[in-house]
Amino acid sequence: MATSVSVNNVVKKFGNVTVLKGISFHIEPGEFVTLLGPSGCGKTTILRIIAGFLDPEEGQVLFNDKVVNNVKPNKRNTAMCFQSYALFPNKTVYENIRFGLRMRKVPSDEQRQRVENAIAMVNLTGLGDRKPYELSGGQQQRVALARAIVVNPDILLFDEPLSNLDAKLRERVRMEIREVQKAMGITTIYVTHDQAEALSISDNVIAMSNGTIVQKASPRAIYDYPSTEFVADHIGAANIIPAEMGSAKGDFVEVNTPIGCLYANNFHHIKDQKIALCIRPEDLHPVLKKERMENMNIITGKIRNAIYMGNQLDLFFLVNDYLIRASVPKDYIIEEGATIDFAIPRDKVLVVGCEK
Amino acid sequence: MMKKGKRFEWGYLLLIPGIGYILLFIIMSTYVMIMQSLGYYNYTGESGFSLQFWGEVFDQQFLDSLLYSLKIGIGSSMISIVICYPFVLILQKTKGKRILLSIMKTPMFIPALVGSFLIINIIDYHGIVNELLVFLRIIEEPLRLRNDKYGIGVLMIQVWKNVPFQMLIMSSAIESIRKDVVDAARNLGANIFSIIRHIILPLTLPSALIAVTLVFIGTFNDFAVSNTAGPLYPNSLSSLMLRNANVFGEWNLSACIGTMMMITTILLVSIYTLIAKRLEKLD
Repeated sequence: MATSVSVNNVVKKFGNVTVLKGISFHIEPGEFVTLLGPSGCGKTTILRIIAGFLDPEEGQVLFNDKVVNNVKPNKRNTAMCFQSYALFPNKTVYENIRFGLRMRKVPSDEQRQRVENAIAMVNLTGLGDRKPYELSGGQQQRVALARAIVVNPDILLFDEPLSNLDAKLRERVRMEIREVQKAMGITTIYVTHDQAEALSISDNVIAMSNGTIVQKASPRAIYDYPSTEFVADHIGAANIIPAEMGSAKGDFVEVNTPIGCLYANNFHHIKDQKIALCIRPEDLHPVLKKERMENMNIITGKIRNAIYMGNQLDLFFLVNDYLIRASVPKDYIIEEGATIDFAIPRDKVLVVGCEK
Repeated sequence: MMKKGKRFEWGYLLLIPGIGYILLFIIMSTYVMIMQSLGYYNYTGESGFSLQFWGEVFDQQFLDSLLYSLKIGIGSSMISIVICYPFVLILQKTKGKRILLSIMKTPMFIPALVGSFLIINIIDYHGIVNELLVFLRIIEEPLRLRNDKYGIGVLMIQVWKNVPFQMLIMSSAIESIRKDVVDAARNLGANIFSIIRHIILPLTLPSALIAVTLVFIGTFNDFAVSNTAGPLYPNSLSSLMLRNANVFGEWNLSACIGTMMMITTILLVSIYTLIAKRLEKLD
């Protein structure tokens, strides 16, 4: 049976620096949750606290509603995949994967069977006799994954496991991790600073900043409805425009910005706070004829740069000296310096809170 | 087509000081020693090939000295590493590690002869150790630790002198083990003893081997400590060699002893290496 994880009001300090400022979240059994945030936001620290490598100053970690603060790391039945893979350099692939089973004193016949299954599961058949230094980065990461899953852990922990791999390999191993996790139904906590990775792999994403949780939501919700300027900016590309709230008009609200007055969505969660607008570049659509459009904001800008990105064309244009980015289909033809109108659906103009 | 001749690389000339030193002082002196053991380079009398000295060298005195030197060499290098390993492991988690390490390094900066006399003062018949043991009624009479026939005093001094040296090697070896590798082992269910057995020992074995080998070479060939604190008989091979050359003027016999010391050292270092490789494979 899969395990739930609860983190209640956890505080962690290193010297005088408080790296976790009362973190709380709950992960359902079998859920795949990603902790996403920039370097130094505390995401690895929380992972290490869950694994038992670090003790929190305050707060509790619970597995299936049982407090595990005083349980040693070797008794928690978690399995961690490290950024550096952390394979045992003196042992072969087979021995690396077998290590956890040896420590658990699993009978040797069963050990052999389970190691062979794990090797097959991560597509490393035939490489059992190799030492880690004889493997590529992707293969090493798969050994780390096999070593983690072979012990049937209650919780799988990943600490930026793909950051040393090239983009193509990252995508492939990412998919493999997700497939293995789904097949085994293990509760998984995954730490990354790569928003694409977080969105593509997780059931839920926890966005962290400066030792606090900023938002926890599904990948779609966190991308479509970021709650703060930080989340909007950190997850995906976004035009963040300073704004002042105006009056509500039905489902929308009038918002004053340096690029004009716009109608925006998603404003009810804002309470007495400085706000900004988030507009995703793909939500700006060039319009050829100026015509009245229902539920659309129209802005006019002068194209400064058109950058071909392969799968799309990125247009950078100025509106009242404010640089805005729009992503349009790659075959769109436009000259730099041209003035053009862009339509933005009202429901795609999002009001987000400012942290400062 | 004209063949291009290999150009002389002038940069190789920069190697002369290093290679010249090795050639002159190591290879040449070893060559002279071996040739001297075969009757050449005689300071007195005629020089010429002879196996006479090799026939004479293997007497009871030489064999006793060889056994004694082996005992001191193997004993002190092994005892030192056994003391050093747990100490360094504990030290890794200790606050004030650097200060402790600095204090522990002190014996390294004291010349062997001075160190030998310092320890003799403590372990002598009426030294602090014996006085304390008698005072505590652990023993009735003081023990003979200096110039004893088993070489216990020499072993104690060699261990005192060499533990810090091995500590330096071993602490950097243990520090070089990545923390996440140890964390991975803990995470997979290993307790502290399993981590030492499966991770730390195998990963530091090459360094331990170097530490043991270097101490063995030093202690097997030691002269100063054995001469001050060692037994009256047998003597260390170095003492025997010196006496043959200086007292009896038997330079050729001394050369045979020197050659044997070298051969024994190389042989034992090779055995150590072999054992280490086997252990590595076994793991």
